[in-house]
Amino acid sequence: MKKFALPILALSRLPLFSCTKKEEANEKVLNLVVGSEVKGMDPIYSNDRYSSNETARVYEGLLEYHYLKRPYQLTPNLAEAMPEVSNNGLTYTFKVKKGVKFHDDKAFPGGKGRELVAEDFVYSIKRLADPKLQGLGWWVIDGKLKGLNEWREKNTSAEKVNYDEVVEGVKALDSHTVQFNLTKPFPQFLYSLAMTFTFATAKEVVEHYGNEFLNHPVGTGPFMLPEFKQTNRIEYVVNPNYREKKFPCDASEEFEAIAKEYCGKTLPLVKKIVVNIIKEDQPRWLNFQKGNLDYIGIPKDNFDAAVTPTNELATDLSTKGIDLLIQPSLDVTYTAFNLDLDLLKNKKLRQALSLAYDIDTSNKLFYNNRALPAQSLVPPGIAGYIKGYENPYRGHGKEADIAKAKKLLAEAGYPEGKGLKELTYDCPSSTVSRQIGEYTKQQFAQIGVKLKVVQNTWPELQKKIDKRQVELWGIAWGADYPDAENFLQLLYGPNRAPGANGSGYDNPEFNRLYASAAVMQDTPERTALYEKMVRMAAEEMPWIYGVHRQNYVLKHSWLKNYVITDFEAGSEQYLDVDLAAKKTALEKL
Amino acid sequence: MNIYAYILRRLLYVIPVILGVCAIIFLIFNVVAPDPALIILGKHATVEQIVEIREQLGLNRSLWLQYFDIVKSAFTFDFGRSWSTKQEIIQMIKAGAIPSATLSFPAFFVSTVLGISISLLVAFYRGSVFDKITVVGCVTSMSVSSLAYILFGQWFFAYKLGWFEISGYDYGFPYFIPYILLPAIIWVMLSVGPDVRFYRTIMLDEIYQDYIRTARAKGLSERVILFKHVLKNTMIPIITYVVIQIPFLILGALLLESFFSIPGLGSITLNAINSSDFPVIRAMTVLSAVAYIIFSVITDVLYTLVDPRVRLS
Repeated sequence: MKKFALPILALSRLPLFSCTKKEEANEKVLNLVVGSEVKGMDPIYSNDRYSSNETARVYEGLLEYHYLKRPYQLTPNLAEAMPEVSNNGLTYTFKVKKGVKFHDDKAFPGGKGRELVAEDFVYSIKRLADPKLQGLGWWVIDGKLKGLNEWREKNTSAEKVNYDEVVEGVKALDSHTVQFNLTKPFPQFLYSLAMTFTFATAKEVVEHYGNEFLNHPVGTGPFMLPEFKQTNRIEYVVNPNYREKKFPCDASEEFEAIAKEYCGKTLPLVKKIVVNIIKEDQPRWLNFQKGNLDYIGIPKDNFDAAVTPTNELATDLSTKGIDLLIQPSLDVTYTAFNLDLDLLKNKKLRQALSLAYDIDTSNKLFYNNRALPAQSLVPPGIAGYIKGYENPYRGHGKEADIAKAKKLLAEAGYPEGKGLKELTYDCPSSTVSRQIGEYTKQQFAQIGVKLKVVQNTWPELQKKIDKRQVELWGIAWGADYPDAENFLQLLYGPNRAPGANGSGYDNPEFNRLYASAAVMQDTPERTALYEKMVRMAAEEMPWIYGVHRQNYVLKHSWLKNYVITDFEAGSEQYLDVDLAAKKTALEKL
Repeated sequence: MNIYAYILRRLLYVIPVILGVCAIIFLIFNVVAPDPALIILGKHATVEQIVEIREQLGLNRSLWLQYFDIVKSAFTFDFGRSWSTKQEIIQMIKAGAIPSATLSFPAFFVSTVLGISISLLVAFYRGSVFDKITVVGCVTSMSVSSLAYILFGQWFFAYKLGWFEISGYDYGFPYFIPYILLPAIIWVMLSVGPDVRFYRTIMLDEIYQDYIRTARAKGLSERVILFKHVLKNTMIPIITYVVIQIPFLILGALLLESFFSIPGLGSITLNAINSSDFPVIRAMTVLSAVAYIIFSVITDVLYTLVDPRVRLS
């Protein structure tokens, strides 16, 4: 036996085959992972996170999210500066940066990428509206730009879509000025210009490649991909003609150290990006541990091995130089009340039920204690979230909470629950949703309130909400863009079901504040209005607030500047790799 | 009958079979497939968009014309574009066929040769301890879930010992070899058990035939009996078993490809099923049906080569 042991041990330290293509040790390469197939590289079809992230490595838009500022803030990208906005809030005029070149490609004369002009944005927006192409991001501009819906309708039946026709809503004033004319004030319109759907494409490239355009990405971005193939790996190389773009020097407090170290450095910081498509959790986890990937979201089955109950990184991982990053997602889970019912219009009843519901145990049971209990509807990370604010009607399972809940229930007219009919809780049909329903039932029982849990398919639940056939129901909302307006609209009276306001909350004061804030630009005054509404929503309890879920990410120490963001598109240009640290760390792995 | 005439006649039989297969595919997918508009347009679909997309996809045309499209695609291999990725399906299949083939064919070849060799050995030593151990080993290996082989193999041999790549694939020789080694070994481990049991059974069936007793009576050595007579006579079931598996190799190995991130046809099929990508599922179904028919013709022709008693008629 001993005879075999030595050779086997010696073998075990060596890979059996060494003909794999390995990266150069002195080249800065980002090794990323995605857990799903990437559909293609056409901006107008990049409607999922994976395609959108890939598209944004090659293409760029007028605006982007500031990498180091929280709450999220828009900043110019291909625009020279933030737009000039007319007094009536309807016209946005952008100056496009001069000297920006598209990637070199055979679609251009002589194979040299030409300069980006304002007309490219006009073309790209029209392409998104093209009825023949059915761009998946049409909803972001649908009904918002003057004359664009009419243009779309007119071209639906036309043999060939007429891109030459001038549309009032989006036009080039000169070679480097593009103007957007809105049908009504909508400051959130700017967020659509940071979405990949509206990124700049060149007409001649689209026409050159025709149907195969989605496999030939040619943008102005920091990285290039000569041809997209649906395979297990996508390799981007740095764009040698990328414009002079510098690392930002300003940052929110928590990211100041990064800004200080990298301020003014030329972007991008790495030479190459390798995106590995690994769908299964185990190979993703093992590849990360081997150092083949720079960072990953923790797979659910490995969560307990990676994170301690006190939310710290497991020692065996921290000794390998792995870091844990945690950040709340821009979302909120909640139990809504149907406020059309006289019974549930009783505010004290709603407050009593909220106090009876122990959010901390719920967090432990259903989110591994990883989520953040919500105090109101706006999640942290966006203007309108009030740091340190505690909802007075938020239950934590304490005796005092139950006593207060009982008192409020008595004041509501139902002492010990007497006289109150059995309430119904509707939820989707998943196991966890049903468990949350059962938990809610048990929590309400503490103050004598009876609850019946009813499971539905998702369409059934939606239908019931629209037809007002619900009393209480469990649901969640994720942000489309980082603006509290996207959450506050869920309680805006005129949005009542079948609109987004399923609970039917209709408070004239709240509606007035919302209507004022909705047409305001991002200013401290608007934030003050948002905060007022957030406090009002917390006090009024149209929902029992649940949690804001959190992102847990592990990264290797050699990866520099990585921060979790809800809007990842384009963020890899700010990432750096410390090659010396990587060499040392890899020896430990 | 001339062999060419026979092949031609069998290939002509293929036409009604393909028409039938297309009819079944058409019926199944027209009954169970979700509305393509929702798959293509996503959650923000408007009524106008749905109408337009149905028009573009030709879903408003008569059912006969839609059926004819499927039949046409079976002969021209023009399957259109994927609803989900908008890629040309034939290109997706071409791109996926190479990784699938580089994994499945060597693994299949090794497992078949190994299976037949082990079976010959156990047939030779039938009833011995070696035979019993082999049978128990086969049954044991078949009782373990394929997922267990994959998870353990990947964790232990690739991660812990570092002998193989954990996952991935590189196009071109010899770059793909390190990536397909571990999945190919797992494939062989998974296949050898059932293969040996099957081959052993048919060989033992043959060994107890009268003509073998005659051969022994004539004084032929056990080796000659086994290799010259038994093996030759078991070729028909072996060929049937082997050749009929080949079309399914084209489909790739769903689990292995998924866990080892091999961008083969198995992955494409799995993605298509997960996203209800009907044109891709349809293409893969049509292709496997056509491949199955072609390989059954090949099987028939091979019968005549290995067994002169089989006549083409």
